[in-house]
Amino acid sequence: MVWLSSELMFFGGLFAMYFTLRSTSPELWAENTATLNVPLAFVNTLILVASSFTAQAGVFAAERLQPHRTGGLFSLKRWGMVEWFILTFIMGAIFVSVQAYEYAVLVSHGVTIDASAYGSAFYITTGFHALHVTGGLIAFLFIIGRAYLAKRFGHHEATSAIVVSYYWHFVDVVWIALFAIVYFLK
Amino acid sequence: MRTNVKLFTILGVFFVIVATIYGVWVQWSEWAGIPALYALGGLGLMIAIYLYLTDRRFGLGADDREDGDIAEYAGTYGRFAPWSWWPLGLGISCAGLVLGLAVGWWIFFVGVGLGLYFVVGWVFEYSKGDHAH
Repeated sequence: MVWLSSELMFFGGLFAMYFTLRSTSPELWAENTATLNVPLAFVNTLILVASSFTAQAGVFAAERLQPHRTGGLFSLKRWGMVEWFILTFIMGAIFVSVQAYEYAVLVSHGVTIDASAYGSAFYITTGFHALHVTGGLIAFLFIIGRAYLAKRFGHHEATSAIVVSYYWHFVDVVWIALFAIVYFLK
Repeated sequence: MRTNVKLFTILGVFFVIVATIYGVWVQWSEWAGIPALYALGGLGLMIAIYLYLTDRRFGLGADDREDGDIAEYAGTYGRFAPWSWWPLGLGISCAGLVLGLAVGWWIFFVGVGLGLYFVVGWVFEYSKGDHAH
């Protein structure tokens, strides 16, 4: 938790950079934000937010010490932690992939990291966030792996699942702030 | 735990207020300090909320009583492996990563490979091998 707070300060620094560059060169912002694909990013945001809820459902399953589903594939209430976390992983992976696609489109429009102050601010803030999401995805894989290897799913596995979910919620909240600033406030 | 909740709430609220005062003072024109101060507020409040939730789950502890002793919190704080080579290997891999950045990329990729091996090993330390439960 303390480490997450330090992460908050790290992103605080990135926000400060974004705002400072924005206030010193507003004309760059007016020119470059026009190329952003806001609807796509909005859908992407919804996917990430939804993945936070599925992660939390996985945590509830982990707290019941239930790693696997006990019913059919579509009876959601009987899902275990592994099913929920796999769903979360897929949604997180979609988020990163869509963002990579977005980067590709932006680069084709000439918005690159070394093109202007806007490019630097945009790619460094969203890029560091994407790296955090990727780290979270790897962590989810580890947790799922632990659940499969455990002969008896106990508190050791459940605790690590809860910790990863804290991290995931944090990354999610940071993205909501980033999205509001980069795509709405511009 | 109650005291800790109060302390961090005070810190968080204080920094939110200070950030707002600062913002008004500079007429919302200086955008390095304002987000940093608000982030400080968030930092305090985040820990406060976490401690509040933990407090609600575990109830009053020895640190909430006037006559509580430090020794009352003695006990098991975590599980630790009797011995483990994974952290050392991970440290060496990280050293390799940084060395790779400074000297040459091929060392960097050796570090990535080693790092993957040792991270996986450390994460599954209790799931497979000598310390499996």
